[in-house]
Amino acid sequence: MLQSKAYVKKTRHGRVLKVVREHYLRDDIACGTITCTACDNSKACLSASPAPIIVFDTNVVLRQIDLLENSAISNVVVLSVVLEEVKNKDLSVYNRLRTICSNPARNFFVFSNENHRDTYIKGLAGESPNDRNDRAIRVASKWYHEHLGPASKVVLVTNDAENKRKALEEGIDAQTVEDFVRKLGQAELLDLLVGAGTEDAQTTADADDNRPSKRKVIYPEHKLMSEITSGLHKGIYHQGKLRVNRYNGFEATVSTESLGQEILIHGRIDMNRGFDGDVVAVELLPQEQWQENSLEKIVEDVDEDESEEPVGLVPGSAEQLPELIETGPAARPRGRVIGIIKRNWRQYCGSLEPVENTSSAGGKVNALFVSADRRLPKIRIQTRQLENLSNKRIIVSVDSWERTMRYPSGHYVSTIGDIGDRATESEVILFENDINNKPFSQQVLDCLPPLPWSLPAEELQNPNRRDLRQVRVFSVDPPGCKDIDDALHCTLRPDGNYEVGVHIADVTNFVLPDTALDHEACQRGTSVYLVERRIDMLPKPLTEDICSLRADVERLSFSVIWEMTPEAEIISAQFTKSIIKSCAAMSYAEAQARMDDSRLSDPLTVDLRNMNRLAKIMRQRRIDRGALTLASPEVKFEIDSETHDPLDVGMYQIREANQMIEEFMLAANVSVAEKIVEHFSQFSMLRRHPVPSPKMLEPLLLTAAAVGVDLDISTSKALADSLDRAVGGDPYFNKLIRILATRCMTQALYFSSGDCTPPEFHHYGLASPIYTHFTSPIRRYADVIVHRLLAAALGLSKVPGALREKTMLTSVADNLNLRHRNAQMASRASVELHTLIFFKNRPTDTEARIVRIKSNGLIVFVPKFGIEGPVYLTGKKDKKDESDWIVNEQSQTTESRDGKYRFKVLDKLVVHIEVVEPQPNRPKLQLTLVDQANECMSIK
Amino acid sequence: MSANEYRTPGEVLGWASEYVAGPGTYVWHEKVYASVVGLLRLTPAATDVEDQRPTIEVTREKERGAVPEPGTVVTAKITKLFPRQAAASIVCVGPRAVRDKFTGIIRQQDVRATEIDKVDMHTSFRPGDIVRAEVISLGDSRAYYLSTAKNELGVVSATSDAGAAMVPVSWQEMQCPITGQREPRKVAKVI
Amino acid sequence: MDFISPEGLRLDGRRPFELRQLHAEIGVLDNADGSATFEMGNTKVIAVVYGPREVQNRSQQQLDHALVRCEYSMATFSTGDRRRRGKGDRRGTELSLVIRQTMEAAILTNLLPRSQIDIFVQVLQADGGTRACCINAAALALADAGIPMRDLVASCSAGYLNSTPLLDLNYLEDSGGGPDLTVALFSKLDKVTLLQMDAKVPLDVFEKVMNLASEGAKAVTQFLREILMENTKKLAFAKEPLKV
Repeated sequence: MLQSKAYVKKTRHGRVLKVVREHYLRDDIACGTITCTACDNSKACLSASPAPIIVFDTNVVLRQIDLLENSAISNVVVLSVVLEEVKNKDLSVYNRLRTICSNPARNFFVFSNENHRDTYIKGLAGESPNDRNDRAIRVASKWYHEHLGPASKVVLVTNDAENKRKALEEGIDAQTVEDFVRKLGQAELLDLLVGAGTEDAQTTADADDNRPSKRKVIYPEHKLMSEITSGLHKGIYHQGKLRVNRYNGFEATVSTESLGQEILIHGRIDMNRGFDGDVVAVELLPQEQWQENSLEKIVEDVDEDESEEPVGLVPGSAEQLPELIETGPAARPRGRVIGIIKRNWRQYCGSLEPVENTSSAGGKVNALFVSADRRLPKIRIQTRQLENLSNKRIIVSVDSWERTMRYPSGHYVSTIGDIGDRATESEVILFENDINNKPFSQQVLDCLPPLPWSLPAEELQNPNRRDLRQVRVFSVDPPGCKDIDDALHCTLRPDGNYEVGVHIADVTNFVLPDTALDHEACQRGTSVYLVERRIDMLPKPLTEDICSLRADVERLSFSVIWEMTPEAEIISAQFTKSIIKSCAAMSYAEAQARMDDSRLSDPLTVDLRNMNRLAKIMRQRRIDRGALTLASPEVKFEIDSETHDPLDVGMYQIREANQMIEEFMLAANVSVAEKIVEHFSQFSMLRRHPVPSPKMLEPLLLTAAAVGVDLDISTSKALADSLDRAVGGDPYFNKLIRILATRCMTQALYFSSGDCTPPEFHHYGLASPIYTHFTSPIRRYADVIVHRLLAAALGLSKVPGALREKTMLTSVADNLNLRHRNAQMASRASVELHTLIFFKNRPTDTEARIVRIKSNGLIVFVPKFGIEGPVYLTGKKDKKDESDWIVNEQSQTTESRDGKYRFKVLDKLVVHIEVVEPQPNRPKLQLTLVDQANECMSIK
Repeated sequence: MSANEYRTPGEVLGWASEYVAGPGTYVWHEKVYASVVGLLRLTPAATDVEDQRPTIEVTREKERGAVPEPGTVVTAKITKLFPRQAAASIVCVGPRAVRDKFTGIIRQQDVRATEIDKVDMHTSFRPGDIVRAEVISLGDSRAYYLSTAKNELGVVSATSDAGAAMVPVSWQEMQCPITGQREPRKVAKVI
Repeated sequence: MDFISPEGLRLDGRRPFELRQLHAEIGVLDNADGSATFEMGNTKVIAVVYGPREVQNRSQQQLDHALVRCEYSMATFSTGDRRRRGKGDRRGTELSLVIRQTMEAAILTNLLPRSQIDIFVQVLQADGGTRACCINAAALALADAGIPMRDLVASCSAGYLNSTPLLDLNYLEDSGGGPDLTVALFSKLDKVTLLQMDAKVPLDVFEKVMNLASEGAKAVTQFLREILMENTKKLAFAKEPLKV
């Protein structure tokens, strides 16, 4: 084992530091070739012949990762020098490359050339790091060739002309990517190539304008990185993430730490080729330019106009709220992007803008890609398969954005399916929200117990497992629920107290830590519920059979058993693994019917009634503590069982039975949270709900004030009470206020107890000092972790290693939060999609409520369908003073000039809903006022 | 247990019932262990004592290197010449090399036994000469006082300008075998 | 941060259970009674021993055993950023104490009553694992000074990062935030004299890390013995009478 030392100079805070690190060179690094006799080939996956071994240069990996992801490419050696360079330049490409490498089907082998005795090279004097790395790649390629003997073929794929020339001189078979792909003989792969046709693009563009030097420069130049850093240092520039308005692609904000305030950026020119999520450097505009009222519509001299708010589902929480930009008393700073520090390019999903002229069939054509996400500009791509793609949803990647190009250029990656096809659109939703809906891999499925599963005899002998099969356990779930993860029982004890048990599917008995199944579940984080399908976190045999607490079968469970007084005071809580046999799996409606039917008095019904009584007391106590009763405008579709088309839609009905189950689940979660924190104060997975800031509640207060309701937001208790008092003229008024309140809240978050102080554990919405998720391990990974923690707290098992690392748990929690949010977004998107399908052939007139009044229209909420959207009162191009309407923003009222209409916020009105398609392939809902119906309603 | 092997602390040397633990060893749980680094030695017990077990010891190789003492003959290298004295660095004490550096001074009156006031230091020594000298006292805090005032003491090895080792021709002169040039020295009469 | 690549190599190219390159020199200072430098990779420590000698402060004199004192310091140039560290900083005091206790346990102090042994340890270059390195250097210096010891004491650190036990952490891994454990052993007597860890770690992980660190310490002992043997042979050679 040789050793050599690498001397690196590194700067931190502007200071120059010499960092010396050891670098050990080894002779035990395998080459990864199956036939090699010299190396340890336990992990080998490459074949030396007849297929050539492919080595990719760094720039090829960085630019052509989409190509590498295609399964046509295999038998590849990934050099560690390449990995390292890729990691430094683009982390997302690195992660994708790592994913490919870890897939055994792809035959990608990572060769640690930097640590191999024969392939490590020292930088020569005057040699740039790039040149050194290029040389390292050549040395490694050559080494492979020599190591495997003359019969082997090693191909170095590089697009660097200099590198290629040198490689050929050294006797290495070097090829450019284009040549390489051409030799593979698969035409469609050529479309995946980045920049394959940039020269052509140049020439076609030049053909339009014969003086290439005079080509119109659209965007200002980006400043040099050195200039940006010094500017940031001096405080002239500000750094931050560019956040494009979800509903208006021409408006963006950058929140900077240096300014402590959000900087507004208007228009694509000022955004200067920045994408949503990019880290950018911003320069402030002179103060006199700040004053432009942002509530006015932006009229850009651009040929696309998307600055319209769409009709969509009602936002469920603050995160989903359209980022409305309010002008306070002081105008907000405006700025423009002068440089992009870090790109956030990913793959985007959308469709091609139809082109009339498709004359060049088969050849390369330019096309414009329009994303499903409004925050993105159009993307210019080149394709050879225009006919195939024109009515498909496709995925593209962005490659570059030149100053002279209005749109960024990219390349085609893959096709999802036909536009308008429901399955395709669902795929799009999943893709956009980064949800993995691939079937579970064989390794994952191998972790499952053999089917059909039945209770193993040894579990009955297990002293840690309580046999509760004799207990009258039942479950209550939504109709048609197959993944039943909770069941309950409630028996009267001889002393007059109640024994109440919550039994949760014992998922961790099957999902063992550090198995492929566990990793997969952790990655997925949650099951995703779309309108017509469910994407499971765990494989189906587990969710629907082995873990599901179905009726009349013996199942393993994890139980929380309380002793409660008739006044629902918890005397003691016990936690145990158990075996149960559910006697009934009811739907909410069934349970409710049993409770309401006074003729019934069988034991099960009595249990239900007892529970319901206890639940009501607990609920009241919780409300007294200040828990918010929030309302969600959730809707439920009735789906045609064959076509999967929505037949009807309506608000989700909440019954007492729902609230009863919810109450006991909350109680179980709280009990478990207390237990695990007591044992593992540093790494318990908890859930907190931060107190909303007054700023977040501002829109609610504004609306409430306009309708004369006074809300006290000082504490959750005060808010809950004042919400209770807010009763308007009609029964729906209170619910409407609650819906508005709900959307001002942020979402609750998972976190590791080591990351926060105990006061921060507080759950605002539930008014509970501590909370976690324990009751749905089948569909939430957080619950799986909590199950393990609880088992460890009871001494039944050890805490799995990964959980004990603080950073690990934090990253798991972050991932769960992201997955959870994505799952919610996907569900909403799916409902939106189905709403669209539903209204496609059913233009409807229905009642709506005004939730906000803006300068050019009303934002209305349609309770029956749970949708919200604008009703435009003024035409798009109208000037403000010529409008027929007078708007008073402060009191949130509007009046038509002829005095015909007069609207106030929260007023009722009738709207017409229909699907329109102003831009091809982007159908959307449109709301319009129905004149006659409203005349009588508004004039009072 | 074979003798004449090197041992490091903690190594088991044998059973306490078989050996007497000598210097550099200790007994723990009926076993003899080495406590220093060094050579293992076995000394058979004297015939007249009752305990007939051999003594086992570990002797350190690193001793307080040889230290010049008054009366001992040392080998030194002349480093500097002054009009009234010469500075020398002691390399060997008797037959043994020193580990530490000791400096010695040969004063004018200690160069030879006769005509001690007429001694010219420059005709007696040159820097680089190897001399045999006797330690006459511990001297001051910086150096031992050395003397070459005996027949068998004085320069034993010197190099000429030409770079060759010179040969003594008389008790006051040495000659270069290459150039034939003679140089004055206080030459030792090597026995 | 990934401390181990999926290929099983650490940032510096070692595998999880490998020590860094060890290097030691004995007798580096002539004036001292015993001295040694010890290197574990880029961590380099010099240890100097004076004694056994007369107790300087009479009031501290022990009638039945030797007084062992230890002073730990870090050279200003030992880390990248030049920072003067006072002698009295908490880390230094703690380390002095740890080294003193470890060495005191090794030295047969009862053989040297009314005397004092001073151990000075200075970090010349720091790159993680200084604690272990200091103990190893001190052990060599004591052996060089010929102070009787129960056994050679050797030390090694180990940590737990990315769910893997790692031997002999370097600075980068040390600052990775995982638990980090230092163990010192008498390998022939099979006794642990020092075990330090300031993190909460479950028992099974602790066991794994502890075993790894012990294995490491044993390997270090082996190395120390070899170095001492080699040095002794050299000394023996120098001791041979000069043949004139």
